[in-house]
Amino acid sequence: MSIRIIWIMLVIFMLHLLAGYASAKDTKEKISYKYKKYERFDLGNLEIKGSVVAPGDLSVRERERKQFDTPLLDRKDFYEEIRDDVMKLR
Amino acid sequence: MKILFLIFTILLLYITVIPSSGANLSKAHRIYRISNSMKKNEKITYELLMAKYYFAAIPFAVKHLENKGKVTENFEKALRLIVLKTGTESFMNIKSKTLRDAKSNTLNFVLGLKYFERKNYKASAYFLGLIPEEHRFGPEARMMGGSSLSMAKKFDAAATQYKRCYNVANSAETKAKNNKVARYYAIIKESCLIHAARLKFTNRKFKESIDAYEEVAKKSYMWPYILLEKAWSNYHMEDYNRTLGLLVTYKYPLLKSYFLPEAEVLTALAYLKLCLWDDALEVVKQYYSIYKPRSERLKAILLKYKSSNTYFLELTKKNIRDSEKQNPFIRNLVTQVRKTIKYNLDFSSFKLAKNEIKRLNKAGKSSFTKMLVSKVQNIIKQRKKSLNWFIKKRMFDFINKIHRNSYEMFKIKIEIMSQKRSLLYKNTKLVSDRGRGSFENVNRKSDQHFWEFKGSFWADELGEYSFGLKSNCAEIKRGRKQ
Repeated sequence: MSIRIIWIMLVIFMLHLLAGYASAKDTKEKISYKYKKYERFDLGNLEIKGSVVAPGDLSVRERERKQFDTPLLDRKDFYEEIRDDVMKLR
Repeated sequence: MKILFLIFTILLLYITVIPSSGANLSKAHRIYRISNSMKKNEKITYELLMAKYYFAAIPFAVKHLENKGKVTENFEKALRLIVLKTGTESFMNIKSKTLRDAKSNTLNFVLGLKYFERKNYKASAYFLGLIPEEHRFGPEARMMGGSSLSMAKKFDAAATQYKRCYNVANSAETKAKNNKVARYYAIIKESCLIHAARLKFTNRKFKESIDAYEEVAKKSYMWPYILLEKAWSNYHMEDYNRTLGLLVTYKYPLLKSYFLPEAEVLTALAYLKLCLWDDALEVVKQYYSIYKPRSERLKAILLKYKSSNTYFLELTKKNIRDSEKQNPFIRNLVTQVRKTIKYNLDFSSFKLAKNEIKRLNKAGKSSFTKMLVSKVQNIIKQRKKSLNWFIKKRMFDFINKIHRNSYEMFKIKIEIMSQKRSLLYKNTKLVSDRGRGSFENVNRKSDQHFWEFKGSFWADELGEYSFGLKSNCAEIKRGRKQ
């Protein structure tokens, strides 16, 4: 007898849950957001509370300028010519 | 009476000279057929050499060496004669061990050259050092030995070799029996002077190197090449006006064939050092607009024939005007190649070989002569291929130099841009108040005199020019009036 009552209560509880889920789904679909079509901000009139951390004047941190090191042609010997002289002798 | 004397002389010549060469050839044939002696190849070599068949004698001399035959005094003379008449290439393909074991001065010379080609400079210097000074190849051995030691960075030993080379070549030049031989030794002598100057340059003794270069006579065929080297010495001594003066000599019409791409780069560098940026950029511009496209066209022509075994050799035989029409650089390169000793020696040996074939064909149609003709023909074919490769390599090396120096020019352009930007950052500019030249800016020695250049080159002035440009490197603040 008691098992039967428990079963009935369980069924009723499940039905209740299902009904709740269905109603929640229906209400979610119905949500619509509306925004203001026009809103005006007077920035000059805005008051922000706090303290200024950044320095007031414009500053650029100095750094050393990159020097491009392109070694230009420099002759240190004439080995190529020495070899060539021998090769064109015989 | 005169006619009778003439007929008698001709008959005498016929009896003595002509049958003797024929007799030597038939004797060589007989030895070839009958003899099984160890000395067979040696004997055939002697007989062929006596009949003046130098190319035909090569295979027999090589066989004698490969069979580990002894190098007697007579065979040494035979080897020397073969090398003199046909070149060192005749024995280049023999194994190094065989050449070493022969213990011959002539073969040591071949060995030295072989090692030099393979960049084994230590071994090259050793074998060339074994050749006595009084030997026929003594002067060349000293020059090549000095070069090997230079390449091996043994500078003191190299300098000693060059000094000895100069003395030996000088004495050989004075003793020479004809002009051609005297000229040959003169070239070796000049090469040794130039190499000694290069040695000083490598050791950064620029002043001494300039003095050494000045010992080379202006009539020397090597003189145009040393202008660039002298210019480098002056550049390192920061005499940029003299550098520019030396390089402007290449504009002399008779030196047109000596277009050296590096001379253009050095000109731009000298202008850069004087802070004459516009002048430097003009040289760069000219290089890109004239020389580079010309080299591209040359490359297109040469690439078509890169696999040919004869094209480049044939090019040197063409009329110089036809070569110029094809491409101005071809004319220059052909002129330079034609002046090398190797080209001239190889060319005269081809003539000698052709003459030998003619004489062999006339001598008879025996299997022996046919074999000799075929061997000589093969040797000529190989030699032509080798000379063709030598010319081809020089031409492609030239194209590569143009491209390599084109990159150097690009770097100069970048450097000028970088320096211009630096001035901008510093809010300065170059002084730019120099005139185009002044005597005050010319460094000169006590024996150098002033002559103004008025648009024409005088032979005695060549190589003595100097610009008189003032350095433009001083900086002034922008906005200030000059």
